[in-house]
Amino acid sequence: MKNREIAISVNDLHVYYRDMKRFSLKKGGLKDKGSGKIFKAVKGVTFEVPKGQILGICGKNGSGKSTLLRAISGIFSPDKGSINLHGNSISLLSIGVGFQKQLTGYENIYLSGMLLGYNKAQIDEKVDEIIEFSELGEFIYRPVRSYSSGMYSKLAFSITAILETDIMLIDEVLSVGDVHFKEKSYNKMKELISDSNRTVVIVSHSTNTIVDLCDKVIWLHEGLIKDEGDPAKIMAKYEEFMRENA
Amino acid sequence: MKRFINDVKKYKNYIIYATKAELKTEVINSYLGWLWMILEPLAFMLIYMFIAVIVFKSKVQYFPIFVFIGLTVWNFFNKMVTSSVKLVATNRDTVTKVYLPKFVLLFVKMGVNLFKMFVSFILVGIFMIVYKVPVTWNILWFFPIILTAIVVTFGVCTIILHLGVFAEDLNNLVNIALRMVFYMTGIFYDLASRITNPVYRTILLDLNPIANVIFNLRNILIYSAPPVGLWTVIWFFIGLFLSAIGIKTIYKYENTYVKVMK
Repeated sequence: MKNREIAISVNDLHVYYRDMKRFSLKKGGLKDKGSGKIFKAVKGVTFEVPKGQILGICGKNGSGKSTLLRAISGIFSPDKGSINLHGNSISLLSIGVGFQKQLTGYENIYLSGMLLGYNKAQIDEKVDEIIEFSELGEFIYRPVRSYSSGMYSKLAFSITAILETDIMLIDEVLSVGDVHFKEKSYNKMKELISDSNRTVVIVSHSTNTIVDLCDKVIWLHEGLIKDEGDPAKIMAKYEEFMRENA
Repeated sequence: MKRFINDVKKYKNYIIYATKAELKTEVINSYLGWLWMILEPLAFMLIYMFIAVIVFKSKVQYFPIFVFIGLTVWNFFNKMVTSSVKLVATNRDTVTKVYLPKFVLLFVKMGVNLFKMFVSFILVGIFMIVYKVPVTWNILWFFPIILTAIVVTFGVCTIILHLGVFAEDLNNLVNIALRMVFYMTGIFYDLASRITNPVYRTILLDLNPIANVIFNLRNILIYSAPPVGLWTVIWFFIGLFLSAIGIKTIYKYENTYVKVMK
């Protein structure tokens, strides 16, 4: 894994949530929008992910993991610092990608695919595979609003798993659907990850997942990197820490 | 600017597909489907005809077409502005999961409402044939005039979209403003002949881009007259200017929209 080109560089990343609650005109007017308390979710994180690496991120709830992922995927802008993806395509795989609920699953495959930057012909090629993997059968032609939450996540997972991107960000998605689908998606995950050109960042609470899948792990604690390195060692420390502070 | 063009290219497929999909859902979810695109403006036309002809005894020539042109342009503007206020919030599922330039959402709405306007104008055409309206070359002005309406609407909407993310009660304000503009636009009465005071006339007819567009469209389509284009040209450039500011603002702040919505 050494001496490879770098896929993601995160440099001194800060992401803040200003208390920019949606104000009402009565309460203060337009000038007020910058004021309010600042909550620092990520405060100065620096790391690099070489191409092909599988990076795990662990940390307790509210430690800034999801914020970090969202910043990398471009949904949030950094308040300070920088993120460089070196021109790689990226997708965030989290439970429930944005679907248009009125539309059928089939149409949503195309919409999501196009949002990820694919054109129609490329999706045409993959669409059967997606439908098959999602196990939705005839439901794929029904509106997404009629789906159960399990079906919803299965479709979401299938779309992002089969429409591959150079970098995949995975937010605790491995607990999708029933036991059978969970196993299947876990295996698919492994298969995707084993492609040595793909860079993967996984956020998870599960020690098993991280030790099993990742090459390296970063432990986030209150917006800062507390420790990083070999998955087995770090996760052991992490678990101990969590037990002590529970 | 360069980034804008690149993004439009990049998301072109999405915009087209999403527009089609949205039009389709509107149809799927109602019994009369496509018919609503025609029935809705027709029904409103009848209501305004009742008010204007029976209550106010208006004597405008080709009155149904007169009202219909006004309604067509107004509906476009009105629907665009109304949906822009909450556009980011209504798309929160998408916006929180993947990055897309937020004006892309606006383009999709644009596509939907442009299509409806197009259908409505076909109806205008049919009316013109039925009423045997004399047609002159002046109708070619239709394209630059409607382009002005589109550019101005887009410009206004980009700014409303941005403010709408932050201001919770912008919705109420916009509703009131729209209602006011509606009555001042002369949808179901003739602004030009009703208002004789030249100052008010300028304010209502020239400084209101929608009234200006509607006035000119009526002239060229049904009254065989050339447009009075000076203000239309001015509004076209104001529209471009607003769009540029709006897009720049959206680019600058769009990544904080998601944070605000939490």
